[in-house]
Amino acid sequence: MMKIEAIIQPSRFESVKDALREIGIEGMTVTEVRGHGRQKGHTEVYRGREYTVDLLPKIKLEMVLPDGLVNRAVDTILKTAKTGKIGDGKIFLSRVEEAIRIRNEERGENAL
Amino acid sequence: MTTAARPSLTPGIPPEKNMQGSPTPLSVLGPQAEAERQRIRQQFEAGTSARETLRALCELADHNVQQIFGELLRVHNRDAQGLCLLALGGYGRRMLFPYSDLDILFLLGNERVEQELRPLISEFSRTLWDIGFRVSSAGRVVDECKRIEEDNAEFHLALLDRRFLAGDSALFEKLDAKVLPASEKQARPFLLAQIHRLTRERLTRFGNTIFHLEPNVKESPGGMRDYQATIWLRQIVEEKRGIRNVTAAEEELSAAAVDFLSAIRCFLHYSNARNDNTLTYELQAAAAERALGVGDGVARAPAEWMRQYFRHARTLNRQLLRYLEQKAPVPLSLRQRLFNAARSTKSEPAGGRYSSVRDGLLEVVDLPSLSDRAITYSLFAEAARTGTPLSREAERSIGYILTHPELPPKNTQISWATLREILGSDYPGVALRSMQRLGLLTEVLPEFAMIDSLVVRDFYHRYTVDEHSLRTIEHLQELAAPPDERGAHFVPLWKTAERRDLLILTLLLHDVGKGMPVENHVTGSLAALDSAAKRLQLSPEEKEEVHFLIEHHLDMSATVQRRDIFDPATVSAFAQSVTTLERLQRLCLLTYADIHSVNPEALTPWKAEMLWQLFVATSNHFSRTLDRDRLHAPDEGSLLQRVKAKAGQATIEEIERFLEGFPRRYLAVHSAAEIAAHFELYRKLGTVPVQTELLATRHGFSLTVLTEDRPALFATISGVLAGWGMNINKADAFANAAGVILDTFHFADLHHTLELNPSEAERFRKSLADVVNGKAPLEPLLKSRVSASRARAPKITVETRINFDDASSAHSTLMEIVTQDHPGLLHEIGSALARLGCNIEVALIDTEGHKAIDVFYLTGQGKKLTTQKQELLREVLQGTLV
Repeated sequence: MMKIEAIIQPSRFESVKDALREIGIEGMTVTEVRGHGRQKGHTEVYRGREYTVDLLPKIKLEMVLPDGLVNRAVDTILKTAKTGKIGDGKIFLSRVEEAIRIRNEERGENAL
Repeated sequence: MTTAARPSLTPGIPPEKNMQGSPTPLSVLGPQAEAERQRIRQQFEAGTSARETLRALCELADHNVQQIFGELLRVHNRDAQGLCLLALGGYGRRMLFPYSDLDILFLLGNERVEQELRPLISEFSRTLWDIGFRVSSAGRVVDECKRIEEDNAEFHLALLDRRFLAGDSALFEKLDAKVLPASEKQARPFLLAQIHRLTRERLTRFGNTIFHLEPNVKESPGGMRDYQATIWLRQIVEEKRGIRNVTAAEEELSAAAVDFLSAIRCFLHYSNARNDNTLTYELQAAAAERALGVGDGVARAPAEWMRQYFRHARTLNRQLLRYLEQKAPVPLSLRQRLFNAARSTKSEPAGGRYSSVRDGLLEVVDLPSLSDRAITYSLFAEAARTGTPLSREAERSIGYILTHPELPPKNTQISWATLREILGSDYPGVALRSMQRLGLLTEVLPEFAMIDSLVVRDFYHRYTVDEHSLRTIEHLQELAAPPDERGAHFVPLWKTAERRDLLILTLLLHDVGKGMPVENHVTGSLAALDSAAKRLQLSPEEKEEVHFLIEHHLDMSATVQRRDIFDPATVSAFAQSVTTLERLQRLCLLTYADIHSVNPEALTPWKAEMLWQLFVATSNHFSRTLDRDRLHAPDEGSLLQRVKAKAGQATIEEIERFLEGFPRRYLAVHSAAEIAAHFELYRKLGTVPVQTELLATRHGFSLTVLTEDRPALFATISGVLAGWGMNINKADAFANAAGVILDTFHFADLHHTLELNPSEAERFRKSLADVVNGKAPLEPLLKSRVSASRARAPKITVETRINFDDASSAHSTLMEIVTQDHPGLLHEIGSALARLGCNIEVALIDTEGHKAIDVFYLTGQGKKLTTQKQELLREVLQGTLV
């Protein structure tokens, strides 16, 4: 099992979610986050006051998938989250040792 | 109260071995109790009333408690002297629901008895558990009941519902007739304070509203706890004051509400097989199908049945709030008293003769006057203006008048002017809440009835549609002092928003379509606007604005969530759809309030920030692209026709010549009627070269000036205004292709010159024309006034900031000045610009409290300003404005 963490543009979230659903991935955790990588923030002046947005709004998706589905999920995120501009986000993959469904204590991929 | 968890059974001893020697062993008692429970349930499901069901459940519990207690005394070979059992709380009131706990108090004569009887008490509780009763017990020596346990208010409150169950009746008599009456008298302030505290905490936990989509019929506002708290308050307060004037009709409504909610609670317990009081969507449908609590057996749609629920919940909640309001348990602090006194003095003008302010609430002074609906509405206008809510007693008085036809109502039709006053005030929600509770909101706006108590199943929304709509308005008025960081950015938007009345009307109507059989609720809401606008006689411009806001009320939220708001193309497209800065401001506030009212967590700081960023970017887009988009008159066919219709004999060509080349913003900020009036002034320029129009507005005056362009014109006009003591709050300066200048100034008449002396208006206009035409000097007019004003030190200091932008406009240099506002400021800036040879192509002048925010589109000899000119201008202005 692998955990996918994808940081994406908020404007791409609906498309990414729909595309993942189309390949059979329904479960995910979504968090509103702020941050920046190479895409630095910018300053906007409004009525004489400077508003510096150094941490840009992003959406973080987290999902744990069986190994067989990971590549398709990554491809789907890449395809749908990409605009080609700085700030499109990143995908992080990490191995997950165990998953347990709290309701019935099922374990492993059955719990996903 | 102190509760005991289920006592563990003695290891190794099966339950049936307890109460050894009893003629009615557990093996018999248990099944008997269970069979009786089933019988009661079947009868309830067959239609027996909740009241009967609760009585039967209580009798079953009483019977078993008494029997087991008696058996245990016999088995332990002792009498009941020094020990008795009391039912407390709901069980004490004989309102025992199927899966509720039995609250039982073991009352002991002294501590020695407590030691002796501990095994018996333990066995008693265990035995009840074993035959299916959930026991929540506490033990007290009788003298302990005198003492107030400040950290255990719940116990003292439960004790108010005490009822003798079994044991030493003399001991109960002692407690009931001697010990508690004396201590309860002393404890009254404590108990009242605790009821207030616990109730307020509970109501706050549920957002202070009965209108939850899936309410908890016990804990939510309007639930059974409201009834229970009311009973306690009546018990405590009325003992002191004598019976209050609760009418028979109110008692009847209250009894019906208790019966209805009791039926639901029994149903929920049976359906969930546990003490779970959440009325979920599924159970709403099941209850509606069997017409639960209604009694006619006719199946209903869940939404319709839920309206009955809310009607009853409203009765119980209203009753509780009235009692809570009657007695402030904690003396008011000096600050609160001063605040209330200040409010009292402020409250005179509108409803002064008919109302007064007491403890921060509006009270009705002259009850019979309420049959005149105009007076009633003036009370609401007062509430909306000052933020002082009507007291529950005042609402009750109005409610009485509304429902008793012996006092014939007068002036029942509300005018748009009166409604505007309520909607456009600082605290419209304060008035609208009361109006909703009294049914007056749906009288004024019958379209709102379509969403009255309407449950629409939705994963995100927490409240009924009407509640959501009213909350949007309350979230906006809350911006006067926002409770958390989410609102911080939006405070100035609310404070400076124009035509708030239209925004609030939009919020009342924006979801009305959810109560209509239409595919898309926005279509329904727009149809509701059609009927409301016709009835209230909104002007075409007012209707168009509300129409736009309803139609696009989801656009800003959708743009924030689905578009890249940092992409200039997104901002440009959004700005194009919104058309004006004023509209953007209203749409932003609407979106803020709409998201905020979905549920308490819906507007995250993240979303609030995104919304703000889109607002800022779009606002800047508007102010930086003003001269980019200019009117090409022949393309404006519909406008030309509308202006022509109002302008009499003029030809289309004449109108085209007038409009050609104005920035598109000119159309956005002026109605067709205003443009027609401007056109009339334009036609007279040939005979009188300076045309002016002076109008009184809600917040002061507006002055429109049309004339041929000439050097230092803007500085001259603003100088005359300053000389007359007028403070400019807002201004637009436009020019058409033929060099005709159209400047509009909105100003406050600081010395009430025009307000108190209408004849001065003509002198003012002549003075302006003379100075502009060079027939009179400006300086003498200006000198005394400006120097007197400058002598006063400002309360808040605003640092001067000057920014130049060469990128936004193809033809001009943008100069944005943010500085301390003061009378004569624009004249100073305009004069400096004129001295340095800068021509004002477009100007946008605004103020925000003590801050002036001015944007000028400048050219020098028809071109953008050079860098050197910009630096020189900065230096001169910094020197002038500091």
